[in-house]
Amino acid sequence: MRRFLPAVLVAAAAAFAWWEGGLHQSSTAAHVSVLVTNGVFLLGAVSAGVGRQAAPVGVWVRGPLSVRRHLAEDTAATVAVVVWIVLVLVPIGWDLNSFVHQSHDLPTVSWIVGHATSSHGGRAVVFALWLTLGGTLALGWRRPR
Amino acid sequence: MTPGLAVWIGIGSALVVWAVVSGLSPRLPGPIALIRWFAQSWLGRALALCAWAGAGWHLFCQRP
Repeated sequence: MRRFLPAVLVAAAAAFAWWEGGLHQSSTAAHVSVLVTNGVFLLGAVSAGVGRQAAPVGVWVRGPLSVRRHLAEDTAATVAVVVWIVLVLVPIGWDLNSFVHQSHDLPTVSWIVGHATSSHGGRAVVFALWLTLGGTLALGWRRPR
Repeated sequence: MTPGLAVWIGIGSALVVWAVVSGLSPRLPGPIALIRWFAQSWLGRALALCAWAGAGWHLFCQRP
């Protein structure tokens, strides 16, 4: 039975995403399903993570500060990290700019995603991606017990 | 096509190209490494999960 558990969980998540895809943003069922999902994943992260983090918070916070040492050790990887930072900050900045101007010529990410999720299939796919990301963030990369 | 949409297409294309290039190169940190970095400690994981939860509420429960 344990062998089939991952497949069962994936099938259940896919069915849940498809069901959620048929809901409307303002429906109570949509609100409850998102809130319950949030709660389950946050509780899962806490219960699965006690004593199993890869790094203490202090080490993690100080990590990016040693960029000069990393630059000397591995220039390509450090430049790649800088590119990632730019590629994360640019969309945030452009989205803020579009939001502030409130113009039809400047759509926000929310507007674009709103169009993508206006159909049953589109909403179900985006919801499935959201579930996958949440599951990865909650349970992924733990040290073994 | 509006100017703003053209900018988004450019940003999206750059993200996809860089994700593929860095994902295929074993020496460069790819998109998985970016997510994994947040999952290294309680603080990073909590911050990422809070952002994830807020994004879910905004996308699926409010009208974007």
